[in-house]
Amino acid sequence: MEPILRFEHVAKEYPNGVHALRDVSFEVKEGEFISVIGPSGSGKSTLLRAINRLIPISGGRVILDGRSVSDQKGRNLRAVRREVGMIFQNYNLVYSLSVLQNVLHGRLGYMKGLRGIFGRYSENDKKEALALLSEMGLEDFCCNRASDLSGGQKQRVGIARAIMQKPKLLLCDEPIASLDPSSSKTIMDLLWSMTKRRGIACIVNLHQLDVALKYSTRIIGLSKGEIVFDGAPERLDDTMIEEIYGTSRENLMIGGTEDDKADTVNCA
Amino acid sequence: MTKRIPLIARDLKRLYTGFLIAAVLLFIVCSVLTNFNVMTLIANGDAFWEFITEDFLPPALPKADRIPGVLSSVLVTLALAMSATTVAAVFAFFVALFGSERVSPFPRLAKLVRGFATFLRNIPALVWAFILFSSLGIGTGVGFVALFITSFAFMVRAFVETMEDVSQDCVESLQAVGASFPQRVTQAILPSCLSGFLSWFLYCVEVNIRASTIVGMVGGGGVGLTLFSYIKSFQYDIALSIILLVAVMVIVVDRVTGKLRKEILK
Repeated sequence: MEPILRFEHVAKEYPNGVHALRDVSFEVKEGEFISVIGPSGSGKSTLLRAINRLIPISGGRVILDGRSVSDQKGRNLRAVRREVGMIFQNYNLVYSLSVLQNVLHGRLGYMKGLRGIFGRYSENDKKEALALLSEMGLEDFCCNRASDLSGGQKQRVGIARAIMQKPKLLLCDEPIASLDPSSSKTIMDLLWSMTKRRGIACIVNLHQLDVALKYSTRIIGLSKGEIVFDGAPERLDDTMIEEIYGTSRENLMIGGTEDDKADTVNCA
Repeated sequence: MTKRIPLIARDLKRLYTGFLIAAVLLFIVCSVLTNFNVMTLIANGDAFWEFITEDFLPPALPKADRIPGVLSSVLVTLALAMSATTVAAVFAFFVALFGSERVSPFPRLAKLVRGFATFLRNIPALVWAFILFSSLGIGTGVGFVALFITSFAFMVRAFVETMEDVSQDCVESLQAVGASFPQRVTQAILPSCLSGFLSWFLYCVEVNIRASTIVGMVGGGGVGLTLFSYIKSFQYDIALSIILLVAVMVIVVDRVTGKLRKEILK
């Protein structure tokens, strides 16, 4: 099966001389649920943003669905981006707009001219957005301002917006880093079930090692911009963890118990 | 001898003393340079008070047939400030879109845009009015253009900063969705920054109400010009009532815009 995403020796050097990524190569196939773990500053965010060119890379190639992302510009780049959903740590909603409007933003990449500029979405899109919101348990909030929602609800709107794009690949940048433990679980469960049902490949940046172990089909460990681990969660043993984080496993868990999941947010 | 316990760090104390000495020295140097003498002020105090009590007080009304003219000139000043600020705000919005590295589709030009705005802003409206009325002649046209230029430049800076504060996150997410630049503007920047823009706009109206009186005095029309003509013809008592009228106008506008800004930012 042709991979959805392929990284070929990707490198990123920022103008200030920081090497965020060095010679990163991997492939992503349909249906995979990949967690990217690593300490702060190991290049997780850069890796994710290199995929839809929110950050341009300085070496190598990113190939998404057969097209080289770094060669695309203007309209073609937009066409690439709309096939990749993205979820952010800070939700990145437009808080002064309604929940429904925020979900419909997922369709903007498919719209042209004045209809897109003035947000004249088709009735079909609206129906789909409402169905998605009720699937997320947010049907009662569709006309509220996005700023009225709680953190977990905002992230659910973020997921709905990404799903509205009908993406082949979903990128999640620290999706639960700003959430409490129970909302974190809801969000991770939703991500898991939504992507599974629709056959969307998913790449999640995570700070929480235990969450990564629980949900992923595959884990990529980054350290100083290099891939030091790439494999099934079962293969991630204590020595491997130490190589990724530069510290032992015990130092990564604050309480060490299952319930303290979200408290390990900044474990690295 | 016992040593006194210092209450503040010694170098901090030295710094304060230094500042005090510097301020006194600066005052002396400036007084010498400008020939300012407190004594002459006191010696001429009588003339000053006479001018205030005899010429200015009590405030007098202009001739009855002039009153509508004075009132309409106040309205002209208000209208001048409002229209110049409104037109400037619309232009400033479009220019500000290109003044922020993070929002603009041409980030390299952003510095240039901001530099241009800063340059325009640092020339006061009064100077613009002087420059302009030699080419446009006396009248509200000069006032309008002078106020337009300064408030345009001010709002470009203010709008750029609002955009960078407020809409960075949602601009990124709409970029990820594949939205085009005009879509990002109308769907993310405009809704999330609108209240911030309006607040700056109202602040600018406030500033321009004051400025338009002064710009009017040098040929920009409105109540400033009326006031100046009474002063030039030595009718100081009538001038005083106009000054009071202007003060009332400014206070009212201040309160209204202040209230509106508070409501908007809620």
